[in-house]
Amino acid sequence: MRLLSGSTGRIIIAGALVAIGFLGVIVRLCTLQVVEATELSKRAERQHEKSVTLEGERGTIFDRKGRILATNVEVPSLYAIPSLISNRKAVAPELGRVLRSDYRSILKRLEGNKNFVWIERKVSPAVAQSVMELGIEGVGILNESQRFYPKRNLMGHLLGFAGVDNQGLEGIERAYNKLLQGEKGWAVVERDAFGHPIFQKGLDYFAPSRGKDMVLTIDEVIQHIAETELDAVMEQTLADDASVIVMDPKTGEILAMAVRPEFNPNRVESQHPELWRNRAVTDPYEPGSTYKIITASAALEEHVANPDDIFYCEEGRMAIAGGVIRDHEKEGYLTFREVIQKSSNIGMIKIATRMDEERLYRYSRAFGFGEKSGIDLEGESPGMIKEPRYWSGRSLASIAIGQEVAVTPLQIVTAVSSIANGGMLMRPHLVSEIRDANGHVVQTFFPEVRRHTVSPETAGQMMNILEGTVSKRGTGEKATIPGYRVAGKTGTAQKIDPVTRQYSMQDTVSSFVGIVPAEDPRIVVLVVVDNPKGLAWGGTVAAPVFRNIAEQVLRYLGVPPRSQERIVLTSAG
Amino acid sequence: MIDRRFISSFDAWFVVVVLLILSLGVLSIYTVTYTVAPKAHGAIYTKQVIWIFLGLIVFFIAASIDYHEIARFSTFLYAAGVVLLILVLLVGRTGMGARRWISLGFFDLQPSEWIKLIVIIVLARYFSNRSHPRGLSLLELLVPVLWVGVPLILVLKQPDLGTALVLLFIPTVMIALVGLRSRTAGFSVLVSLMAFPFIWEIFWNVLKPYQRNRLIAFINPAVDPTGHGYHALQSKIAIGSGGLFGKGLFGGTQSQLKFLPEGHTDFVFSVFAEEWGFVGVLVLLTLYFLLIWWGIDAANKAKDHLGVFMAVGVVSMLVFYLAVNIGMTLGVAPVVGVPLPLMSYGGNSILTTMAGLGLLLNIKIRRFMLFY
Repeated sequence: MRLLSGSTGRIIIAGALVAIGFLGVIVRLCTLQVVEATELSKRAERQHEKSVTLEGERGTIFDRKGRILATNVEVPSLYAIPSLISNRKAVAPELGRVLRSDYRSILKRLEGNKNFVWIERKVSPAVAQSVMELGIEGVGILNESQRFYPKRNLMGHLLGFAGVDNQGLEGIERAYNKLLQGEKGWAVVERDAFGHPIFQKGLDYFAPSRGKDMVLTIDEVIQHIAETELDAVMEQTLADDASVIVMDPKTGEILAMAVRPEFNPNRVESQHPELWRNRAVTDPYEPGSTYKIITASAALEEHVANPDDIFYCEEGRMAIAGGVIRDHEKEGYLTFREVIQKSSNIGMIKIATRMDEERLYRYSRAFGFGEKSGIDLEGESPGMIKEPRYWSGRSLASIAIGQEVAVTPLQIVTAVSSIANGGMLMRPHLVSEIRDANGHVVQTFFPEVRRHTVSPETAGQMMNILEGTVSKRGTGEKATIPGYRVAGKTGTAQKIDPVTRQYSMQDTVSSFVGIVPAEDPRIVVLVVVDNPKGLAWGGTVAAPVFRNIAEQVLRYLGVPPRSQERIVLTSAG
Repeated sequence: MIDRRFISSFDAWFVVVVLLILSLGVLSIYTVTYTVAPKAHGAIYTKQVIWIFLGLIVFFIAASIDYHEIARFSTFLYAAGVVLLILVLLVGRTGMGARRWISLGFFDLQPSEWIKLIVIIVLARYFSNRSHPRGLSLLELLVPVLWVGVPLILVLKQPDLGTALVLLFIPTVMIALVGLRSRTAGFSVLVSLMAFPFIWEIFWNVLKPYQRNRLIAFINPAVDPTGHGYHALQSKIAIGSGGLFGKGLFGGTQSQLKFLPEGHTDFVFSVFAEEWGFVGVLVLLTLYFLLIWWGIDAANKAKDHLGVFMAVGVVSMLVFYLAVNIGMTLGVAPVVGVPLPLMSYGGNSILTTMAGLGLLLNIKIRRFMLFY
């Protein structure tokens, strides 16, 4: 029908236009659903899938006998879903009151644009209970794994602690964080446009693995003995701080490492960060006379002196470059052996001057001073010993008697252990085994010799000399343990007064390092007491502490005392 | 009135196409709303089914009353429509920032949906009464401009941008079909060009801020991807992530998880595309193409001017909605709230579309009939 002029043509044009329109739509659809489909699918997934990190449980830390030192407990954490809370301004102060925290920081979190916020993590069950009693919609509890140290203060410095996100922040927890932490898992949770989780996808789930367990070289009992004795001496002397290290000289294993003031890793926040530090490893001090072991060993090894060589000790007063050296007792002629036993500074300096500066420095370095011992802890100090080219006229004399050098307690105990074991400088270590969650051993740490310091002969001679120190004739008489042969050395170092920059007579570091039993050393014990009040000589303050510790440890380890018959037999033979 | 030829020319396949599209619509609505708790009058998908049954009744009524009869009442219908549009502005229910509905208790009447059909009928009658060997004169053009102008202003007042645009589009197509004298055409173009800045000014001022922002976001979607460009972006993501074969029924993460807004109304196409993929959409587009083709065929075969103009009006209305709605979901047209005919949820949209299709059938089955 031809009703309108050219109407058919127009209708055909209209039909063609419609067809072109449809083709255009198909082309566009093709672009979106075929060409860009992958990209847009990814975008869709990003929108509705949220990956949630699942923390693995931290591994347990055991002592060498399998006693638990660090484990995990489930504790409540308070969270909020801000979108469900209608009157945030009213809710925040309420929460702040119950939690005893600043409500403004809570309000800030509630008013952020997050779907989920922590109000406070790892609170006590009682606090969680009272918050839930407020009955605020959108506030809830999630149980989280919290590190717990059942032994509380015991070796707190050594274990360190793990933070709120199960991240090791100090001590063993930090040094072995990667292994203890395990591998994080994740799950993909679908969520709708309002951020609500829908369901867990079966496939996209990666279970977190539990962290590895650590077996330490530490023995809880020995540690306990050391800490009890430290507490006693701290109380007696009102010292600023103190530390004890007990080492197995043959292996370099640390059996105990105690530091005062004490630190409880269960309550990190309430304790000043200064208390977190493991001073036995991080804080160098001037060792004083204990360092004479190093000087004497060097002299013997270099054959510049024999144990029976005689030195004139100037009746306790000797002028050297830029000053006067005094002894605490006026001595005349002493043998090498007696110089050490009576801890004569003048005698020691005379021995040292038989060596050149280079040699004393070399032996100091050989014994591990001025370098990190390589213990498996972070933040270890290398101490400080100047290179000879920076030495002054009196440096040789000072270093010979343990001044002008800064060492850590760990370095002293390691160096003295090399005398005890016949000349091997061991790498001190704290972890003996790493086990997986099923208890299978993954890694074992074996003793590691860093280098040889002196010959076994020299070491033997030194042991013999040091045994004499712990006798009626020596300064370490108070370290005597009936039935055991004890070798050791006292040390009393004057501290530099920060005001006058002079050695102070009041502030001292009193120390004693002992080896027992001398004939077959099982333990080397270093006691360092910083700034004891009253009589401050190493022999009076530190030596008794050593004796008390060593006596109990020997008994605990089952080291038999020498029987009287054997003495008789030996002397008869 | 109903004789054998009526029955024989009754295109069964056309009804099948319509029913298929309607069912796919209900299915898509069901997948996005089955989790929504039913409100006063039952679940959204059951309400849609009820609308479809009512729509079928309207369809057969519109098909059975001779379209010449309907045209005779066009002035009355037009008056009623304009009165309702005025009533909306006075007592209408406000929803989503616009005053569009008159609440009848069981049903919210949306006069702007119905005015489109009425304008089609009025204009068809006007154009059919004039013989136009050389096209419309200037004076003859003024009349349809007035017919359209009154409801257009009332609709813009609500505001209802989608309806306003379709009210401009339908007469344009019809006038293009009638033709204009060259002088008229030249004059119209000149006037349009001169008037454009003023009309644009009025148009822009009538727009609500969100509508302006949508236009801005259409021109540059990156302006604010989570704000005004959100609809378009989410729709593109939903459609694109459907890929070649779709995510399956109920598998549409974007629509199921409510990232895609208005999944049961304006963006039902995106829901369908996400669940059925490119292949499914091709089938759907074929169905729509058959529908349009059938409409063009009805216009082509209509036995008189009135039928031609009515059919062209209805087809242009459908084409406009298809183009704007699908274009919007594909991110090639601005987000203007127009429904997808036969698929989007909504009583007014279903009823008017079914009435329009009824008119098409009306015209087609009466192509051999003598009237009066």
